[in-house]
Amino acid sequence: MHIAVLAKVVPDYEVPSMDFELSNNRAHERFSRMLGLYDENAIETGIQLKGKTSSSLTIISYGLESDIQFLRKGVAMGADKLVLVKGTSDDAGIIAQNLKQAIDNLEDVDLILAGQQSADMDRGVVPGILAQMLGTAFIPQVGYIDYKNGDWTVSQMTATGQRELEFQGPGVLSITSIPENVPRIPAVRAIFAAKKKPVIKLNGIEQGKMPLQEISVEIPKIESVCEFIDAQDPNEAVKSLLTRLSEERYI
Amino acid sequence: MKTLIIENIDPKKIGELMTVSRLFCDIPDIIALGEGQIPGLFGKAWQTDKTVAANLVSSVTAIIKQENYDVILMSVSTLGTGLAGPLSVALSAPVVTEVTFVHPDMVIERPVYGGKAIIKQKLESTPAILTIRRKYFETAKLEGTTESVLLDSIEQKVKLVAEKHEQTEGIPLEDADVIVSGGRGIGVSDNFTMLQHMADQFNGAVGASRGAVDEGWASPTKQIGQTGKIVAPSVYFAVGISGASQHLAGIANSKCVVAINKDEDANIFNRARFGIVCDYKKIVPVLTQAIMEDR
Ligand SMILES: Cc1cc2nc3c(=O)[nH]c(=O)nc-3n(C[C@H](O)[C@H](O)[C@H](O)COP(=O)(O)OP(=O)(O)OC[C@H]3O[C@@H](n4cnc5c(N)ncnc54)[C@H](O)[C@@H]3O)c2cc1C
Ligand SMILES: Nc1ncnc2c1ncn2[C@@H]1O[C@H](COP(=O)(O)O)[C@@H](O)[C@H]1O
Repeated sequence: MHIAVLAKVVPDYEVPSMDFELSNNRAHERFSRMLGLYDENAIETGIQLKGKTSSSLTIISYGLESDIQFLRKGVAMGADKLVLVKGTSDDAGIIAQNLKQAIDNLEDVDLILAGQQSADMDRGVVPGILAQMLGTAFIPQVGYIDYKNGDWTVSQMTATGQRELEFQGPGVLSITSIPENVPRIPAVRAIFAAKKKPVIKLNGIEQGKMPLQEISVEIPKIESVCEFIDAQDPNEAVKSLLTRLSEERYI
Repeated sequence: MKTLIIENIDPKKIGELMTVSRLFCDIPDIIALGEGQIPGLFGKAWQTDKTVAANLVSSVTAIIKQENYDVILMSVSTLGTGLAGPLSVALSAPVVTEVTFVHPDMVIERPVYGGKAIIKQKLESTPAILTIRRKYFETAKLEGTTESVLLDSIEQKVKLVAEKHEQTEGIPLEDADVIVSGGRGIGVSDNFTMLQHMADQFNGAVGASRGAVDEGWASPTKQIGQTGKIVAPSVYFAVGISGASQHLAGIANSKCVVAINKDEDANIFNRARFGIVCDYKKIVPVLTQAIMEDR
């Protein structure tokens, strides 16, 4: 069995709003780069499945060659190899075309895992586009995955609870976060070993652009008006807070 | 413009999409999923009790092609997200997810970078597929009901084996006027009970950050934020929550945020109306007691 995980390297998503800055309508280059948070959940899920099903695991990414160093963290977590399709587009259609190219190139992929959302574009749409291009089912917001007698059983985390769904592969699943897929921290030895794992580089294609025209990217103004309440004496603090809340008619 | 809503039978979700549809047309059509009457007046209506997105792609595609819709509206949910990408390929249509604002001339607004920036994009062709972020558009009042015909030719790619709805006591998060949310700073699972006591005094609900959900202290259905629930209470208490932009994305429409955090530099204070820099364990029980005595 062969599992592929789609992972994107993004600008630091933990930068607070106050420090955020754009250049050329994208996050400023000065921000450090890292694997997307949900993509790490997907890699962790893939590694656990790899253990359960004796599969091999490939990480696939479309992006910059200089980002290979950050993708290696995913390899160090337990993947077997890395495929990078070189390109710079943020268009969901182009990204999906390029990821499809990588999957077609691998030939024998049984299951594809993605993150619920990329940590820069925040849209959760690439995996669904890719699934339809591949002619397979797409299931979003998956937590647990099991494999038995040729069937995949997955739990989809919904707004009100969970659904148990079953299908025969291949399929594309976008992975949400659950306590069981909190990304592991790779051991130092694994980090060194990851440097020796194979990296396949493919040239990207420019096909499949969506009929969408980018008009602008802007940072919304944040007005900070926090009124700090002295917390020396908790009783007094609570009294002031409740008074202020009712004066301003919030309660 | 000919507009189609695809949504589960849920008056709130359909009501929000109805508001969005009025920016494109007078009366939209609907594909409604689930059992029961379709609330509101629509042109044409199709219905099925099959609700797994992957199985609906081809039948929905056929209807959109047959009826020549210009705009397809869904909300951000497992259904909307499950359909949006596949439909866009099946229809060669542009797709924009997590929409928060619609301008004239098919210009659509949505957040990027965890809500730290807003992108505006123009849809250059129809049909166009949009998923709408909850709580950004008014819930239209739905008068009457609409008769439907059966949506058929549904595939069986994915089998629904079981569905569990969590039992929630009290008010659902989305409807609560007061929310008390805990983050990783709560430190231990048991202390969420402390937050529940406080929420109970306000007749409110308890929420959580992704940090607390990752720790297993709160159910994923309680997560608030960009990838959790979008809420709009009068008062939102953020307890032991750092205020990551992705969390704030879920509380943008809250009227008043009260932050309790022991780190005075925590980002949550940049969004809060009132801030208390303190260990929450010193404040929350006193606050709970004070409201109890006040009643
Ligand atoms: C694509 C994407 C989507 C995301 N979606 C969401 C989402 O929907 N919801 C969400 O919440 N996050 C989301 N996140 C994650 C987000 O970036 C943060 O990682 C998360 O919100 C952090 O949770 P936290 O504030 O509980 O934890 P932390 O950041 O660890 O903060 C804990 C806080 O508790 C304070 N604290 C500690 N002890 C005490 C004490 N005794 N008393 C008072 N204060 C104390 C600390 O000072 C600190 O500020 C998303 C991330 C990405 C990349
Ligand atoms: N450039 C990329 N390279 C690899 N995977 C990607 C890329 N863009 C998106 N994905 C995958 O698709 C998921 C959703 O992305 P998005 O639709 O941009 O929110 C991400 O979490 C990744 O798993």
